Amino acid sequence: MAKILNLFRWRRDRLERDLERELRYHIDRRVDDMMKTGLSETEARRQASIEFGGVAQVQEDVRDTWIWRSLDALALDVRYSIRGLVKSWGFALGAGAVLALGLGATVAVFSVVNTVLLQPLPYPDAERIVSVETFWTNTGRPSQDVSGPDFLDWQAQSDVFEKMAAYYGGDDFAAIVGDRALFANPRYVSADFFEVFSQNASAGRLLTKHDIPVGDAEPTVAVVRYHWALAHFGSAEVAIGKRITLYGNPLEIVGVAAPGFRYPGAADLWVPSHPGGDRSDHIYRAVGKLKAGVALTHAQAQIRTIGDILARQYPENRPKTATLIPLQERLTGNLKATLWVLMSAVGLVWLIACANIANLLLARATGRTREIALRTALGAGRGRVVRQLLTESSVLAGVAGLAGLLLASLLVRGLVALPPANLPGIDDMRIDLTVLLFAFGLSLVSTVLVGLVPALHGSRLDLSEALKQGGSKATASRASSRFRATLVVIEVALSVILLVAAGLLVRSFLALQHVDLGFTTNRVLTAFTDYAVDTEQEILIRAKVYTDVLDRLRAVPGVSAAAGIAFLPMGREPRAARDYFVEGRPEGQPGERPQAEVYAITSDYFKTLEIPLRAGRDFDRTDTPERPRVAIINESLAHDTFSSESPVGRHIRIGSRSPWMEIVGVVGDTRWQDPSHPAPAVIFVSSAQGAGKSLSILARTSLDEKSLASTLRALLHDANPTVPVRFETMEELFDFALAYPRFRTQVIGLFAAVAALLAAVGIFSVLAYLVGQRTREIAVRRAVGAQAADVIRLIVGQGLRLIAVGLILGLAGALAVARLLEGLLYEISPWDVGTYLGAIVVLGVAALVATLIPAIRAATIDPFIALQQE
Amino acid sequence: MASARFPIPQGTLDMLILRTLSLEPAHGYAIARRLQQISRDVVHVNQGSLYPALHRLEQKRWLKSEWRQSETGREAKFYSLTRAGHKQLAVEKASWDRLTASVRLIFNEGE
Repeated sequence: MAKILNLFRWRRDRLERDLERELRYHIDRRVDDMMKTGLSETEARRQASIEFGGVAQVQEDVRDTWIWRSLDALALDVRYSIRGLVKSWGFALGAGAVLALGLGATVAVFSVVNTVLLQPLPYPDAERIVSVETFWTNTGRPSQDVSGPDFLDWQAQSDVFEKMAAYYGGDDFAAIVGDRALFANPRYVSADFFEVFSQNASAGRLLTKHDIPVGDAEPTVAVVRYHWALAHFGSAEVAIGKRITLYGNPLEIVGVAAPGFRYPGAADLWVPSHPGGDRSDHIYRAVGKLKAGVALTHAQAQIRTIGDILARQYPENRPKTATLIPLQERLTGNLKATLWVLMSAVGLVWLIACANIANLLLARATGRTREIALRTALGAGRGRVVRQLLTESSVLAGVAGLAGLLLASLLVRGLVALPPANLPGIDDMRIDLTVLLFAFGLSLVSTVLVGLVPALHGSRLDLSEALKQGGSKATASRASSRFRATLVVIEVALSVILLVAAGLLVRSFLALQHVDLGFTTNRVLTAFTDYAVDTEQEILIRAKVYTDVLDRLRAVPGVSAAAGIAFLPMGREPRAARDYFVEGRPEGQPGERPQAEVYAITSDYFKTLEIPLRAGRDFDRTDTPERPRVAIINESLAHDTFSSESPVGRHIRIGSRSPWMEIVGVVGDTRWQDPSHPAPAVIFVSSAQGAGKSLSILARTSLDEKSLASTLRALLHDANPTVPVRFETMEELFDFALAYPRFRTQVIGLFAAVAALLAAVGIFSVLAYLVGQRTREIAVRRAVGAQAADVIRLIVGQGLRLIAVGLILGLAGALAVARLLEGLLYEISPWDVGTYLGAIVVLGVAALVATLIPAIRAATIDPFIALQQE
Repeated sequence: MASARFPIPQGTLDMLILRTLSLEPAHGYAIARRLQQISRDVVHVNQGSLYPALHRLEQKRWLKSEWRQSETGREAKFYSLTRAGHKQLAVEKASWDRLTASVRLIFNEGE
């Protein structure tokens, strides 16, 4: 910037020098010519000068033709504006801060929206990548979970895809890298996986169809994530050829993916596999890259047709067909609502900030009536005055824009650090060109919004009136008063909308936080482990090891109960519901069978989490692998399937070929996965009988949870050093489950608070200004006998009228937009009367305070002093 | 002789400058002198007003300028016509011709 200015200055200096030389040449020649006719040099110079008409004047006229002239005027305006703003630094600081806040918050939220929703996914031809999904015709919903055979049929029968791939996995697995036991997150992918994303390896090679194990063979190779390779081997090249063990299976690293490649988000390594299983096992997810030029609708129609044919062909497929969803939509779909709500909210805050500053500037412009009138009288054109005033708001908006951008970059860092960090692409979120342009545009719009109205007002002065009235007390024109009142009404209305939104979100968040989970979260340590097994023998050893560790853990002083469960709660490991069957009842059609989530647990699980036993008994030491299988169900399932009958003693099974299990107990419902969803039907099976896989260990303790962690780590290490373990408290898991609702509640709450504050300031500034304007009138009223109370009533009445109109408009607006929030609310209607009343009360009180202060100031005007000053 | 000397008519100075420079490049003083000579001292150009006009025409890219030695040996700023300047001169001459022709017609009619 300085460079450009210097360039300008340098060019202008040269022009000036040239001009001077040029004119001097002219006059010198003229003098020479005159001297030839016999005049003395002095006389010739005098005459030449007169004839020429004033060198300074000519220079000035010539300068006028240079375009630099307009730049000079601009520089002058800017300098003048800065001087003006510095002079009233309190105003400038306040207005600048408000605007910077509004701009910064808006830019920050926009940069998230930009990264997540607007930018394409970071893969070549990302717009052609789709998620190929099961469409459940009985529920009318698509699901990402697809079965292996379905996928193979789609792949074989469609011709709209360049490449298709299926993958499964999602849990962290026990891995051994070097001699360290740790967790790794693998995805088992079909041959063309990397081709769908058009990836190249950063070292080694990616997977090919020759890597796919045939029949029952285990995979032997893997491709790893770039940063994972870096973390464990130091560089991508070094990782090539290294052997790791994944859940007991040795793998050779043949390739490292490109540095930026992550799909799905959590995957550390990709292992080749051939899609298998049967048509009712929906463990895969499928992605495809459409051929160039194939329309999404065409591809959708084709895959639907194939799905419909399969539905007629196989009984398991009866309730389902197939569909396509753009991958980006699939990945960001559930965030869209939150982000757009945030974006709209922050937009409202920005608008309120603009309205507020427009108001302040208008007040200033009115206060400066005399100054502007004087400038106009001295010959400044209307355009010049508008330009001057606009320059002032531009300087303000420009500085605020820069500050806002700084603020935004801080806020963005904060946004990334906030809990819901698993937004796609959020890691590489930065302030890019789009965001910069957005910020610039927003500043520009702010300038116009904030500056144009006061500027036009200022330029439309009646000169003689303004000068005659004298002082800065010239009355505001009726139009400008009305305009300022409108601004205040808008501010109030927008704030009501934000307050209602915030109120609804806060109340549903509180409801979520206090929801009865059905178990106690405090003072529980969870330890996620993964114990690799292969043979039946090893499965039995594993069960024994866990039993021993739990027994030793229970013996630790301060541990009141300990148990194991095969899955961690709160959405960390989403569970698919499985069909179940009750002995003596018809099996039902696929897709219409009752479903339940299945958890393998040890004894004492209910005791540890303080889940009430409603009937029967807990699992105990008599439930050994040799004994008949037993199960415990929750109240939901008992109610759905057995209604008034007693379920204890009945038999149930999962899948149509597994052994029957006797129901030995009924326990209370728990919201184990998602606090906002009612408890699903659950079947608990005994891990001691060989069911399930590795356990997460839960311990209830009166000790500090973290100190117990090291004890437990040592116990596990003694039992089997190849088992990795990761600790969290149950509270942390619960917090994680509420991360999104908490995040949006906090942000919107903050926005609403700022908005309400700004609206109050707006009301205050309008009324305070009004009082200043009417000092004389009020003094006269007081002098002729009006009481202080009358004056207060007068001013408060003025304020209340604005507030009332704003509140009514705001309520109407809130009713209109509340519907958008519906999906984000929990146990509260978007038209909850209490929340609306609350918003009105909060804003009403704030506004009333804002009107009372100037009203009291008006009431304390001493008529004698006030009239004397006039 | 004041009555015989006209102030230059509004808007014609540009055309006169272009015309003068269409013969050969010249510096400001030479242009002023030549204007006076050609018009046989009838047209009076305010010497000062010549320079804003020259700069304006240069801004419009009808003239270009360079510093070079003048007949006295001193460096002077010489102006010359650009291609656009030549075109402009033709345009102005045509419209001037039309104007004078119609003015003459009006006067002849009155006689």
